[in-house]
Formats: sequence, structure tokens, C-alpha cells
Amino acid sequence: MMTMGFHRLPWSTLLAFLVLSSKLSPGESAEPAPATYHSTVSEVRLTFFATEHNLNVAQLKKDDFAVVDDGLIIRDFRSFTRSDATRLEVLLLVDSSESVLPCFRQEIGDVLHLVSQTSWIAADHVSVLSFGGVEPRILCAGNCRSAQAEEQLAAATAAGQTPLFDTVLFAANFLAEHHDSATRPVIVLFSDGEDTISRNSTSDAVAAVLASEAQIYAVDLGNAQSPSHGTMTLQAMAAQTGGRYFAIRDGAAKVLSGMLEDLHAGYIVTYRLPSRMAGFHWVRILPTRNLNLQFRCRHGYHYAGAVR
Amino acid sequence: MKRALFLSLVVCGLSNLLVAQNKVHQHGTIVRMRMAPCLLAPRGFMAALSGTSHQQDTGELCPEYVLVADKIVYVIVGKTSNAIVPLAETTAFRLQNNELLIRIDDERHETRFSIREMVLRSEWDRVHPNVVDETSEPPRKRVETALGPETRQ
Repeated sequence: MMTMGFHRLPWSTLLAFLVLSSKLSPGESAEPAPATYHSTVSEVRLTFFATEHNLNVAQLKKDDFAVVDDGLIIRDFRSFTRSDATRLEVLLLVDSSESVLPCFRQEIGDVLHLVSQTSWIAADHVSVLSFGGVEPRILCAGNCRSAQAEEQLAAATAAGQTPLFDTVLFAANFLAEHHDSATRPVIVLFSDGEDTISRNSTSDAVAAVLASEAQIYAVDLGNAQSPSHGTMTLQAMAAQTGGRYFAIRDGAAKVLSGMLEDLHAGYIVTYRLPSRMAGFHWVRILPTRNLNLQFRCRHGYHYAGAVR
Repeated sequence: MKRALFLSLVVCGLSNLLVAQNKVHQHGTIVRMRMAPCLLAPRGFMAALSGTSHQQDTGELCPEYVLVADKIVYVIVGKTSNAIVPLAETTAFRLQNNELLIRIDDERHETRFSIREMVLRSEWDRVHPNVVDETSEPPRKRVETALGPETRQ
């Protein structure tokens, strides 16, 4: 055994020496340039929800729907799966401006309730960001289901202006950085929908959210009986990103249960990019047989064009 | 008398046959859909008198479909904004009185569409060479990994 070991050692040392010398010696012939692989990504991924008579459809089949992508009808899909097993990357946006002062404690209570729900999948990430004043502030990132984060949330106070659109844009960029292919990004927005100080517009914010593939679940803290401007803003942002709008006056329990049910329902479909025309591509999902089926998804995506 | 009766029977039979033939559905595939201005049907005699025999826009948006049949491609427009038809692989339709009627199996009725344009299939294929192919997945020659519509290097 010793002999064998003795014989092996010089060979391995020699090999290591040869490798090192070939790498270190100057003036040797140039190494072949490292290979560069170019691949054009050409797939669209859509998260969508199907309902029939306002109830989620649990057994949707691949041939029950078609995607209308910029006018072209897509029936052949690369993949079609349920999204219930997909990990969620949830970002809760808490309006802590003066405008929501009367209902701020209730808002925090609802956020805490949502954070402590047991129906999260273990791997789901929950982050909380508050906005009141000039800039949004991250209260906890990814680990908001810990007791320490809950204490931080409970201690939050309301003051200042409402940078709503800046915050939504910030949240979209945050999610774009933090989510990967295996996660589904979601923004839960608690607000009255009134912006008072943002530098960005509603369309800037929505464009950023669409680019991040996130959906906005808007919880309207406004208590007005008639729809306000803020209500319409929240409804528009939710609809355009394929999310949902809830009014807190309907009752926190109903709102939260509806939202949690929705977060783990839904489907993910992927298909070949049908047109390489740069710009915004409008998307809609329609039934192939049953006209009672209704589909909800983001209104489109932005394609920057192929890089040569 | 008998000859007259026989002739009337033949005429009735022929007309029934024509009606029956008119009910025969053709088949095609809807390859495009968009919201476009609705068409206001011309009101026959009045339209002819006023010189506006062509169809007019109403300002409202209605669904417009491109229906590709064997020999002819139809561009059709719904009568209302909610004239949605199932986008199945095969669509059964028939023509009646300058309109195109699409059969909706689940609801057992037909939806009427105005015809905006009719083009010979060969001509349409020449102008839009890849539309039918674009909407179907070709066999994959290489593995492409992607998450969204973006380009990587």
C-alpha cells in the first residue's frame, strides 16, 4: 500500500507542475478565446386566473383557453401549470401618510394579520415597505414573518405626504431584483390611492410593475361610499397588472381571505414570443369553448427588441 | 292540373334544398382578434339615396376577427362590443344575407358578424406569409431558456 502511494505522489505532483507552468509561462501561444454563447430568449410567461360565475376554476385544461397577443391568437403553449406550488415573493406596501391617519391602526392590524397567516407556503418570502413622507422605507425584507418584524410593524406611525407612485415603482424594482424564475412576485398595496408628492406618474409605476411581472392586489383604505379618484387609481393599477381590487369597507376578514385564496390559485402559461416587434404587446386571454369562463391577467408586456 | 301541382312541388323542393344548403356550415380558423370600430350597417334604400352605400364607423369598439377558411379569408366585425366567440381551433360558420354567422356550440346559437373584408386565401397567404405559422409552436431545434420576453447574452 505504501509503495503504491509512493509511486502515485510524484505523478500527481508532476501533473500539477505541468498545468501550473503552462498557465504561468509568458510568451506561450495564445489560448483559444473563451466561447461566447448567444441565446435569444423568446418566451412569454403569463400568470393568470380563471373564474366561472365568480368562482375560481380549479380544473382548467390547456385547450380551454387561447391567448391573444397583439392580435395574434396563440393556442400552442410551451408549458401550462398551476401556480399553487409556486413560491411567492410578496411585498406589502403600507401607506403611512397623514391621509390614512384615521384608519392607520386598522391598516397595521390587517397587515399583521396577513403576515401571520398560516396559509403561506414555508418558502414564501414576505417583505414590508412603508411610505409616508418623501421616500419609501423598508421595514423588513423577506423575513417579515418573524416576531421581531411584527414588533417593528406594530410600532410604525403615520405622518407626511403620500409618494404612492414612487413607492410602487420602487417596489417593482425591488421585486425585479429579488425574484427569480421559481417565484411569483406580488405587490399588496394598502392605500387610499391618493398620491400627493410622487415624481413619477401612474403609468410609470404600472410600466415598472408590468416589467417586473408582478401583480398588484390593492386594498382601498378609503371609506367613501362613492368611488373617489384614489379608488379609480387603485382599480386601474390592479386591473392592468392582472391583480385584484378590494375595499376595506367590505370587511378586513373578507378582504384578506379573498386575497389569500387568490394568491395560491391561478395558472402559469408560457409560449413562444409571437412577434419581435419592439414595444408594448397587449395580451388578453379568451375561452375556446365555454364562454362563461373569464380570465384575468396583466394587460401586456414590454419587449425591448432583439439584441444583435 | 297535375302538371301544375308537380311544378309547384318541384319549386318548393328546390327552395327547401337551397335553404338546407345555406345552413351547411363551413369551417375555418380564427387567427387574429382585435378591438376595432364597429360598423353601422347601411340602411338599404336610404343609404342608396344618400349615396352612403358603404358601411360606416359608429365610434364604439367591437371585436374584429380574421377567419381563415379554405379558399377565402374573412375579416369580420361583431355587431356589439361583447360579440365574443370561442377561439377554438376550428370555427363553424355560414354566410347569410351579407353576414357571417358563427356557431357557438355550447350556447347552441349563432352570432352574427358584419363582413369588413374578404380576401382570397392565396392572396392573403402571400401578404401575410407567416401568420398561421406564427401562432403555432414549431419543433424545437435547440433548448431556449427564458422567463420573460427579454434578450440575453
